[in-house]
Amino acid sequence: MQRIFAIAGLTWKAALRFKLFLVITALLLIAVIGLPLVIKDDGTAEGFTQIILTYTLSAITALLGLSTIWLSCGTLARDIEECQIQVVVTKPIARWQIWIGKWLGIVTLNAVLLLISGAFVFGLLEYRASKLPAAVQQKLHTDILVARGAAKEADMTAMIDEETAREFTARMAQSSVEKVDEAEVKKIIRAQVKAAVEQVPPGYFSRPWQIDLGFAKNSLADKPLQLRIKFNGAERTLSGTFTLMLQAGDPKSGKVWRSEPMSLAPSTESEQVFHEIPIPANLFDSSGVLTIIAYNPNNTALSFPLEDGMEVLYPDGGFAPNFARGLGIIFCWLALMAALGLMAASFLSFPVAAFFSLTMLVVVFSSGTLADAIDSGSVAAGNEETGVAGHSVMDVVLIPAFKALLSVIRLVQNFSPVDALSTGRCITWTELGLAFTQIVLVIGGIFAVMGIYFFSRRELATAQTQ
Amino acid sequence: MPVAELNPQSPVGNPKSDEVVISVRGLTKVFKDFWNRPKARAVDGVDFEVRKGEIFGLLGPNGSGKSTTIKLLLGLLNPTKGHIEVFGHSPRHVQTKARIGYLPEESYLYRYLNSRETLDFFGNLFHLDKADRNNRAEQLLDMVGLGKTQTRAVGEFSKGMQRRIGLAQALINDPDLVILDEPTAGLDPIGCREVKDLIIALAKRGKTVILSSHLLSDVEDVCDRVVIYYGGKIQANGTLKELLAKPDTLRISTPVLPRETLEKVLALIRHDVTTGEVRVDNPTQNLESYFLDVVAKARAAGETSGAQSGARVAEYLRAGGEEKPATERVLEKLSLPQAAPAPKASTEPAAPKVDDGKLSALAQPAAPAPQPDKLTSKTETAKPVDLSKADEKLSSLLGGKK
Repeated sequence: MQRIFAIAGLTWKAALRFKLFLVITALLLIAVIGLPLVIKDDGTAEGFTQIILTYTLSAITALLGLSTIWLSCGTLARDIEECQIQVVVTKPIARWQIWIGKWLGIVTLNAVLLLISGAFVFGLLEYRASKLPAAVQQKLHTDILVARGAAKEADMTAMIDEETAREFTARMAQSSVEKVDEAEVKKIIRAQVKAAVEQVPPGYFSRPWQIDLGFAKNSLADKPLQLRIKFNGAERTLSGTFTLMLQAGDPKSGKVWRSEPMSLAPSTESEQVFHEIPIPANLFDSSGVLTIIAYNPNNTALSFPLEDGMEVLYPDGGFAPNFARGLGIIFCWLALMAALGLMAASFLSFPVAAFFSLTMLVVVFSSGTLADAIDSGSVAAGNEETGVAGHSVMDVVLIPAFKALLSVIRLVQNFSPVDALSTGRCITWTELGLAFTQIVLVIGGIFAVMGIYFFSRRELATAQTQ
Repeated sequence: MPVAELNPQSPVGNPKSDEVVISVRGLTKVFKDFWNRPKARAVDGVDFEVRKGEIFGLLGPNGSGKSTTIKLLLGLLNPTKGHIEVFGHSPRHVQTKARIGYLPEESYLYRYLNSRETLDFFGNLFHLDKADRNNRAEQLLDMVGLGKTQTRAVGEFSKGMQRRIGLAQALINDPDLVILDEPTAGLDPIGCREVKDLIIALAKRGKTVILSSHLLSDVEDVCDRVVIYYGGKIQANGTLKELLAKPDTLRISTPVLPRETLEKVLALIRHDVTTGEVRVDNPTQNLESYFLDVVAKARAAGETSGAQSGARVAEYLRAGGEEKPATERVLEKLSLPQAAPAPKASTEPAAPKVDDGKLSALAQPAAPAPQPDKLTSKTETAKPVDLSKADEKLSSLLGGKK
C-alpha cells in the first residue's frame, strides 16, 4: 500500500507543480460562476435554477472528463516516453501497483476538484434561492431543490409478451401464408400490443393507472404529491396542444381529485415534454395504491409511453444528500475515464492514447446510431418507401458486435444524474451503488485488467539511439 | 579513500565468494520494428557470471550492447533468446529488486520533485519507514554533495548534479547489487573520483557492483573483472590482471637515485639484458590526480553554488567496524602533511556534515603511491601559482570542457 500511495502522491505532486490543479480549478469556477451570468432562461426562478443546475453540472462533467483523459494518458505515457518509469520499475514495486497508484492519484484528484466545484454550485444555488421572495422559495424547494422519488405503474413486459404470443398463435391459425419471418411478425405484433396498452383513444375514453407507492406511503400522509406526465398525440392540432383531464384518488372511498380540462403540449420526436401537475395529499388507498385516470376529450388518440408516460412524484429526502449522490455518479464516470486513459497509455504513446480515448467517448455518444442499426437489423440503409430493410454482408459480424457494444455502453450511460437533479428527482442509494458497480467495478475493472496486462508485458526501455 | 585501494592489482581483500549473483547464458536481444522484422541484433549470444563482492565492468564502444545488457538484467527488456538469473530469480521478479540499486545511463528523474522528495519517493517504493527515509536521504545527499540544495527542483539541476541524485537514489535501499550505467558520465573529475571510491567502498562491504562504461580509466581504476563488448558480442572476458599483465616486462620504481647508484644498477642489469630494452625515466603524475590537487586547494579558499564535493560515504553504506579505523588512519597520515584544511567553521557554517578535511584527504593521495617526496615537492611548488592559470591549463588539457 505504501508503494501504491507513493505513486498516487507523485501524481498529485505533478498536478500541483505543473499548476494543472490550479488551472482546472480556475476553469471550473469560471464555468460555475460565469455560466449563470450568460445563459438565457424563461424568466422564472425555477427555470433559472433548473438551467443553472443543468449547465454547470454538464460543464463540470465535460471539463473534468476531458482533463481526466488528458491527465491519465499523460501520467503514464510520459513516464514511459521520458524513461522515468525505468527507474521506478527497477524498484520492488509490481507493475499493477504502479498502474493502480496512478489511477488512484487521478481519481482522488478528481474527487477533490469535483467536491470543490460541486460545493460552489450548491452554495451558489442556495444563496440565490435565499434572495428570492418566500413564495418562490417555497415553490423552488418543492419542485427542484428537493429529492423526489418517482413511482410508476407495475412493469407490463410480461403481460405484453404473453399477449404477443397469444395473438401470434391466433393469427397463424387464421393465416393461409405458409412461410413467415416469425421474428419480424412477432416484432410487429408486439409493437401493436404495446401501442394498445399505451393508448387512450379519442372521444372521452379513459385509461386507468394503478401506481403503488410502496413503503413510501408511510411517510407521505398529508404531503401533496405531483404527477409527472408525458404523452404523444397521433396527429397535430392547430394550437399545438391537446386538452387533457385527470382524476386521482381512490374511487371506492370516494375521495377523488379531478383536474380542470388542461391544455398541454405533447412530446414530439425531437423534444420530450414533461408536465408536472400538483395533486392534493392523502389520495392513495390504505395499501398505498394511487389510482389515476386520464380522459381524452380530443378527437385524436393520445399515447402515454409505458416507460415514463405517467409517474407519481413524492418528496423523498433533502436536496443536499441527493446532490451529493448525483456528484457521486459523475465521479463514477470520471473514475472510468481515468481507467480508460490509463489503459490506452499502457500500450500507446501519449498523443495516440489521448486520441484513442476520445474516440471511445465519441462511440459512447453515438450509441443512438448503434441502436438504430440494431433496430433495423442492418448497417446498410433500408428503403424508406418500400419498407425493405437494408442488407449488408457485414451484418453477420457487425450487428452482434453492435449489440454487445451497446449493452456495455448502456451499463455506463443509463444514469442521468444531471437530469435527475435539475428536475428535483431522487437519486437513490441503490442507483448510486448500481452506478458504482457497473461503471467503476465492472467496466472500469475490465479496463484495469486490460491496462495492467498490456503494461506488464510491455518493454519499458527501447533500442538505445546513442 | 587512500590510493592503495584504488590500485586493482593490490590485494584489497574483498569478501568475494563463489556465490553467483548474476548468471547470463546465451543471451540474445534482437530489436524488431513495427512489423516484427528484425532491425538490430543488440546483444548476441552473451554468457557471463558475476559473483558476490565483485566489481564487474562492461566495456565497449557506443552501441555495442552494454546498456541493452543492463536493461535485460533489470527486466526492462525481454530477451529474445537466452537465460538470465539475478539472485536466482528472473529479472522480472519483484521482490529481488529490493536488493538492487540501479543508476540509468541518463538521469531519468521526476523534474518537478526536489532532491529530498526524490529520495523520499524512491524510499517509499522500498517500503522504508519515515525515520529511515529521512535518515538515509540526509546521509545520501551529504554524500553526493547536494546537502545544501535539497529544496530545488531536480529539473533545475545541471547534468552532473542530476547524476549525483541519480546515484543517491540507486543507494537508498543499501543494495546488495548495484548496477551503474556509465556512472561517471557528466560528472566533474572530483565527482568521478568520489564515485569510484564509493564503488570500491561498496565492494569492500561484500556488495556486487556492475558498471558499464566506455571510459577505460574508470574501469581500470575499480574493476576486478571485465567483459569487452563489440557488436553485441563479448570479445574478451577476464580479470584486469589477466588481461593487462605483460609477463615479459618488469618495472622498478624508486626515489630519485644518485647518479653513481643508478650507474651501478644499470651496469648490473646490462649483464643480462641488451641496452635497448632498458629504460630509465621520471614517471609523470596523471592528470586526474593533478586536477584533484588543484581543486582541493581552491576549495580551501572559497565556496561554490554548484555541486559541493561530497563528504564521505553515507554512514549506513560504510564498511563494518574492522575496516574503518585502519582506513582513516591511512587517510590522515597521507593527508596531514600536505593539505592544510581550511578552518571548517568559517567557510561552511551551515553544513557541518560536509567535511572538507576528509575530502581533500580523499582527493590528495591520488598520485602513484611510491613517490611521496615527489608529490609533496610538486604540490608545494604549485601552490603559489595563481589558480586561474592552473584552470586555464586544465581546460585546454580537457579540450575546453568546463
